[in-house]
Amino acid sequence: MATPDRIAPTIAPEETVERPWRFDLFARWPWLKRLVRMRSFQFLVILPNLFMFYFFLITALFGTPIGNRNIIIVFVWILWWFVLIAVLVPFGSRVWCTVCPLPFFGDWLQRRALIRVREGKSPGTQNRFFGLNKRWPKRLSNIWLQNFGFLFLATFSALLVTRPMVSMILFGIMIVLAAGLALVYRLRTFCNYVCPISGFLSLYAMTSTVELRSVDKDECLRCKSKSCIRGSDKGWACPWNVYMGKLDRNNYCGLCFECVKSCPNDNISLFARPFATSDVLIKGYDEVWKASIMLVLALSYSVVLLGPWGQFKDWANISEVGDWGGFGIYAGGQALLALVIFPALYYLSIRLAKWYARADAISTKELFLKYSYMLVPMGLLAWIAFSVPLLMVNGSYIISVSSDPLGWGMDLFGTAEFPWTPLWPEWVPYMQVPILLAGFYYGLRGLHKVGRQLFSDPVQLHRSLIPPAVLLVGVTLVFLKLFIG
Amino acid sequence: MRRIRIPNYLIVGLLLLLGGVAGFFSVHFGQPPPQERTLTITAHQYAYDPPILRVNRGDRVTIRLVAEDVTHGFYLEGYDLDAKVRPENPTFWVRHPSQGDEFEEVEEISFVANRTGKFRYRCSNTCGYMHPFMQGELIVSPNYLYPSSIGMSLGLLVGMLWIFRRTPPGGRS
Ligand code: SF4
Ligand code: SF4
Ligand code: SF4
Ligand SMILES: [Cu+2]
Repeated sequence: MATPDRIAPTIAPEETVERPWRFDLFARWPWLKRLVRMRSFQFLVILPNLFMFYFFLITALFGTPIGNRNIIIVFVWILWWFVLIAVLVPFGSRVWCTVCPLPFFGDWLQRRALIRVREGKSPGTQNRFFGLNKRWPKRLSNIWLQNFGFLFLATFSALLVTRPMVSMILFGIMIVLAAGLALVYRLRTFCNYVCPISGFLSLYAMTSTVELRSVDKDECLRCKSKSCIRGSDKGWACPWNVYMGKLDRNNYCGLCFECVKSCPNDNISLFARPFATSDVLIKGYDEVWKASIMLVLALSYSVVLLGPWGQFKDWANISEVGDWGGFGIYAGGQALLALVIFPALYYLSIRLAKWYARADAISTKELFLKYSYMLVPMGLLAWIAFSVPLLMVNGSYIISVSSDPLGWGMDLFGTAEFPWTPLWPEWVPYMQVPILLAGFYYGLRGLHKVGRQLFSDPVQLHRSLIPPAVLLVGVTLVFLKLFIG
Repeated sequence: MRRIRIPNYLIVGLLLLLGGVAGFFSVHFGQPPPQERTLTITAHQYAYDPPILRVNRGDRVTIRLVAEDVTHGFYLEGYDLDAKVRPENPTFWVRHPSQGDEFEEVEEISFVANRTGKFRYRCSNTCGYMHPFMQGELIVSPNYLYPSSIGMSLGLLVGMLWIFRRTPPGGRS
């Protein structure tokens, strides 16, 4: 059998992480399983989003350039963003990828089918795929491209979230790129290695309260067909190239449910599980840097977009103000913080931990990789805390723009004149504090959980936790200062 | 005699509470007497000058609003104030959002800062691309939530490190 090439190049040896409870949702709700087993399931859930997507492209093209009066900006950057980060990721893992319209044309070009499956012998699979089916270069088989892509886009976020055209161009490029890559490379190369959204979805999906896994790993050992990754007449080979028998994290499963259809042993199920407790293994530097980039961006946005200082807004608002020197300071500073300064601080805390715990048996690299999990729940909840005011303050635009999606003065549902009405904005800080504290709490728990796998001496373990825990409290305090101080 | 083992959640909960209460009282005493504060806030694309106003509880705050470039708004959360200010106008328009949409023309707004905490004032009149992010901060001391939450974070840190010591490791080295 072909060994599946996994996504992260630096894979830690297979380890047994103590698993908390999990609850079989397919067993509880058989209709759910029937639903995702329908051949047409993914097509049916993507279709409305595809129309929506098309509609947004039109409104960007012909609607008002004022962001908060154009539906694409309001629906994508207020509604979608909030639902994605605060609901779909923590409670649905990568369920956004189940319904995402971006890879639609790519999938169709590869499969030349919207619903049915083609049997065949395309390399490594039991399906017939069209296109060149090349393998993506090994050196790029990680999330570094996504890291740099996301950081690059984030630099232009002030334009992206305020100008319909800029958003449209980005989404247009993404959908074309996804299709183009699908013609040349096998499976969902765009999703796995290029899509800038994918990077943080994969990282933060680790915390999610659901997981798709094999019910019985031994069954997978005995299984000859490996249909989950190779496909069969019932389902396409896993588009994300995931082998269920070894899957131990949510990161790179796009929840397309093809494997649920193809597994001949009915051995795959959706499980509920506790928040931020199950997937705690960070497996590569690319993922550590992703965690750093996301945390720093949450911080930077809190200063630039939600802070009171006009200078930063002017620098970030490059297309209107045109201060390239200032933009350079902002962009360079943000990149430096995300790629160098914060990772250096974290590295320092790890060196300190190693020294203080006299942990000679554990390499700095291993400690650096593994302890970085603490940044995952912290980062996710910091992002949620950051996003709460976006929705509470500007949510009323959703009501007004629904009646006048293009900003042309239409009034479809009679709500076009609905005034901008912040919803309990003075209570936002009281919501942000528990959210941040929860991030800190889950970060600490994750740290401890990982540490317990590494150490057998209680004193060493305890000492190794202190420096990174202090860094984490520092991160919490910085966010508290920005949000409520 | 058997030692009584306090459950983990109690330790963390107590330390969290302790930190919060300590933070609260760290700013509770020694407030300066109320004063009169009169200031001018200049609104321009896409910020206010000064960006941050610091006052004490009980201060009477009188604000004059000036717009430098285009018409801006001034929606002060927590104090039920919303204003519209046009450039080159000595007066501006104010309403109380809880009392409806009627604006009245005034030369200044004045209120007693009796609600403590950090409140944002935001632009409520679409004034350009970055309008949704145009905001400033009014901080009314004592801002209890801030020191309390610092105390809670530190309490959580200490509490968690404490209970970690009580959990045996299960590792390999
Ligand atoms: S990885 Fe990106 S393009 Fe692919 S399904 Fe997910 S969000 Fe969509
Ligand atoms: S998930 Fe199903 S198809 Fe895949 S290895 Fe296990 S038993 Fe086989
Ligand atoms: S593991 Fe299954 S659900 Fe996940 S991406 Fe692969 S085929 Fe889809
Ligand atoms: Cu304004």
